[in-house]
Amino acid sequence: MKKLSLICLSLAVALTLAIRAQAQVLIIANPGVKADAVSKSELRDVFTGETKNLKEGGRVMPVLLQGGAAHEAFLNEYIHMSETMMQTCWRRLAFSGQSTMPKSFASEAELVAYIARTSGAIGYVSSATAHDGVKTLTVK
Amino acid sequence: MSRSVIGALALVLGTMTATAQSGSDQNLQIHGFATQSVLKGGANNYLGMNTSSGTTAWSEAAVNVQDQVSDKLRVGVQFHYIRLGAFGGDTPTVDWALGDYTINRWLGLRAGKVKMRWGLYNDTQDYDPGYMWSLLPEGIYGVDFRATDLSQNGAELYGSIQLGKKAGDLDYSVYFGYYFDATNDGIMESLNESGLVFNGSVGGKTPGFDLRWKTPLRGLKAGGSLMAYDAKGNLTNGTYLQPLAYWQAYYAQYEHRKVFLSYQYTRLVQNQIVTITGTAPATSSLKTPSWFAMGGYHISDKLQAGAYYTSFTVASAADKNDPANYFHDWVASSRYDIDSYFYAKLEGHLIHGNAAGFYGFNNPNGLNTETNLIVAKIGFIF
Repeated sequence: MKKLSLICLSLAVALTLAIRAQAQVLIIANPGVKADAVSKSELRDVFTGETKNLKEGGRVMPVLLQGGAAHEAFLNEYIHMSETMMQTCWRRLAFSGQSTMPKSFASEAELVAYIARTSGAIGYVSSATAHDGVKTLTVK
Repeated sequence: MSRSVIGALALVLGTMTATAQSGSDQNLQIHGFATQSVLKGGANNYLGMNTSSGTTAWSEAAVNVQDQVSDKLRVGVQFHYIRLGAFGGDTPTVDWALGDYTINRWLGLRAGKVKMRWGLYNDTQDYDPGYMWSLLPEGIYGVDFRATDLSQNGAELYGSIQLGKKAGDLDYSVYFGYYFDATNDGIMESLNESGLVFNGSVGGKTPGFDLRWKTPLRGLKAGGSLMAYDAKGNLTNGTYLQPLAYWQAYYAQYEHRKVFLSYQYTRLVQNQIVTITGTAPATSSLKTPSWFAMGGYHISDKLQAGAYYTSFTVASAADKNDPANYFHDWVASSRYDIDSYFYAKLEGHLIHGNAAGFYGFNNPNGLNTETNLIVAKIGFIF
């Protein structure tokens, strides 16, 4: 019985690690963004429209994915909000005249290409996605 | 179509055309929403609608067009339509129309018709999808009064100042502009029912500011606002002058993951001078403290529930026990997001007092002290 419990526990741990590995998210930015690192609270502020600036990186423009595993992982790990709650934050700003909605892309490749060519753009992709032409920010 | 609507359209279309000609990436966005409500209440008719017999006479819609012209410059316009029983109109009005130039993190400028930041909800109160409630606290953000309070024609300076790693940030907004009373809302109806019938528009200047401290505790913010405004207009039988009135608001809000809590206290001090032709000027004074406390919880990704209590009193009235001089409302509310485009709300009110939201024209037999009300609403956003 003990052996069976150990096997089940090991399988559960391995499965959890495998799921996390698949959904591991990289924060990427245009090479012109000054910051090399960003805190979780700054990420949340930028991607909910609370701020348009990184403390050490100047003005940034968040870019979103429209769905997928990387998008869900990003919301869970860094934003701590559902998609609906995050959209509500942005829509409040857009409908009160304070901001436009952030750009969003259906594919990670399109998002990477946009960030590479757009000054100040910051976004996220899965670690398995090619991200040439952009810089990766460390989350501290 | 009114001149202001035509002017706003011309501003936005002209800027968008210039952007297209420059060959830069366009960031033109069009968004909108629409809501339809059903209300059923007790014996009293509320908010200009025949709620006692059940009504669907509350519809709203808005559409905005915005263009991020460059990194620092954004232009946009929003049109808004409301029909609230006897109030509102059949044509949309310009909700806001502005150019927004961000110099840096701590200084930006908006000019045009700009929403006024006052308290927790003034600049977003006509954006129904932005919050759980079907009706915001009536004595502070009355749906029948808000058309006049939403925006001003002028300019706003805004920004965010970092106070240090352990002290949070301070957001500020300072504005000055001019406004006009809406021609068909609760404010004008209240003035008419008090015997003041205007010949032409009523309006004046409105300076104000808001300071909002984002504290080091994640999700907690606190602040204060002041909206000042004066007004003058011609009556059919004299003149109306309201010297600068002061409307203060103090608030705190905590939002973290699934929970939100907020509290706001407001105090209005307003005088008016009515001069009927051939008589001496008559001065009257109004002082109305009010407050609300609200809380809500995201039960799931799609379902929220919450409650609030609000109190509004006419402190300057001689008899504070007269139901005409107080308004207390217990509210339970819920919202369900069907998908990213549609949502539904259901809300119940237990109202005690008649000082806000009740009018003589649709309550000809007088008012009961108690009013119970249910509001159901469906909304669409894009």
